[in-house]
Amino acid sequence: MRAVTDEKAIVPKIQIQAVSKSYPGDKNPVLALRTVDLSINEGEFVSIVGPSGCGKSTLLYVLGGFLEADGKVLVDGKAIQGPGTDRGVVFQEYALFPWLTVRNNILYGLERGALAPEERARIADRLIGVIGLKGFEDRYPRELSGGMKQRVAIARTLACDPAILLLDEPFGALDAQTREVMQDELLRIWLETRKTVLMITHDVNEAVYLSNRICVMSARPGQIVEEFKIDLDRTIPRERLFTSDAFNKTRNEVWISVRQQALAAEKLNARV
Amino acid sequence: MQGSDRFAAFRSPVGRMVPLVAMGLIWQAVSATKLIDPSFLPSPLRIGHAMVDLLTGREICDNLFVTLARAAIGLALGSAAGVWLGLMMARSPKFRAYAAPIVGGTYSLPKSALIPLFILWFGIGTATTVCAVFLSCLLPMVVNTFQGVASTPRVLVWGAQALGARPREMLWQVFLPHALPDILTGLRVALGFSFVLAISSEMIASTNGIGKLIFMYGENGAYDYMFAAIACVVVVAFVIDRLLLLLTQKCLRWHESATERGPA
Repeated sequence: MRAVTDEKAIVPKIQIQAVSKSYPGDKNPVLALRTVDLSINEGEFVSIVGPSGCGKSTLLYVLGGFLEADGKVLVDGKAIQGPGTDRGVVFQEYALFPWLTVRNNILYGLERGALAPEERARIADRLIGVIGLKGFEDRYPRELSGGMKQRVAIARTLACDPAILLLDEPFGALDAQTREVMQDELLRIWLETRKTVLMITHDVNEAVYLSNRICVMSARPGQIVEEFKIDLDRTIPRERLFTSDAFNKTRNEVWISVRQQALAAEKLNARV
Repeated sequence: MQGSDRFAAFRSPVGRMVPLVAMGLIWQAVSATKLIDPSFLPSPLRIGHAMVDLLTGREICDNLFVTLARAAIGLALGSAAGVWLGLMMARSPKFRAYAAPIVGGTYSLPKSALIPLFILWFGIGTATTVCAVFLSCLLPMVVNTFQGVASTPRVLVWGAQALGARPREMLWQVFLPHALPDILTGLRVALGFSFVLAISSEMIASTNGIGKLIFMYGENGAYDYMFAAIACVVVVAFVIDRLLLLLTQKCLRWHESATERGPA
């Protein structure tokens, strides 16, 4: 194993140790996650892919502190205590407050922080510019397209400057074109800020395009069955990267791994 | 579409008066031709005269004010209590376990059936009317608030928590705003009930108020004055209902049901 501890990252940013999670079922509890282990270093972009219903979102909710689970979840070596502003979350359903305008959605988290009002306004203005929604500050979410809503959701999360970003299929509800634009934006933001990112997705291309590392999850009960290190040049444009042999080789490997899990899941379902 | 164009005229403010005017004319004709005994169904003209007479005196205003005050107090108390109970039911499974059977059991009970009981407890007067209004407003508010709070998507709750919202803030910043459209729907139903209960309880358990006034005119055979008083109630109730609708639209500009502001 290659030593990843040569720099300052002695303690991984996130440690998930033997995490299991079951939901109450009709007769017996349904096991969603079984002894999942995962460590993520500071500045790493890790994606989790797997067949639908494999519990990958559950893992993210556990890490977010929204769901209780067996096992240990450590951030900076300390056990998490419920949700916290150190872990910013972006949901597939945007989860914007419909009764707040774009600006007030972005300000929501800041208003709970220690910053002065002028400083908060400055951050909100800058983020509104970053996401390209100048002129839409006073609109309500219902007046925005899906892509715009997700931009606001990302800006709202970035406003609190969390060390960790948890992304739950963030672009799953967007059309293909908007999704690509948003992926490029996310990549740019990540290259700029180097936050620690855990992204749940079912889009293998997206995972390979954005991540340092991809974890493939098995069908329920979810377990991480395979890991792929991605070592691609992030600075070359999307078209060249997507048509490169290196990208396609990796993409195919991951895709075949996910497909095996999906087929296994189907067989399992057919038997039940 | 041709079908809808034919009725376009009825949708303008003036056009909407046409059916009302037509009804008035038919009524006048029925009365004038003595098809129905005018002493039982006074003509609109006579009611108009009675109305002018009533409006120049203080009687109608004073009694209407008493009734509106009673209805407003009952509505305010009932709504506040209803929102609180609905919120508690939605947020606390334990509380819901106790309260749900009571709400379910009393929901379809006509609250006016309890007026004799209130007379027994509170006697004739304001307390009885306010109590009847309170009870009639309570349940629609409980049911609608519960519905609105309980249907809050978990991602909204989680999103707020991840942005640092504390449990106490969640109530005002997530659950109640999310429930606001349902709460306002409940309020409109409750407003209607408050008029019904205020007037009907005054008819049997009060010495004043517009309900008592209508009842007295009816008892004394002054049907033209009775109709004039009813007309006053109709107008006031209509105006208040419209004001509430305007307020609702203002409060819910953010909601999906709001009319579009036009292209960005």
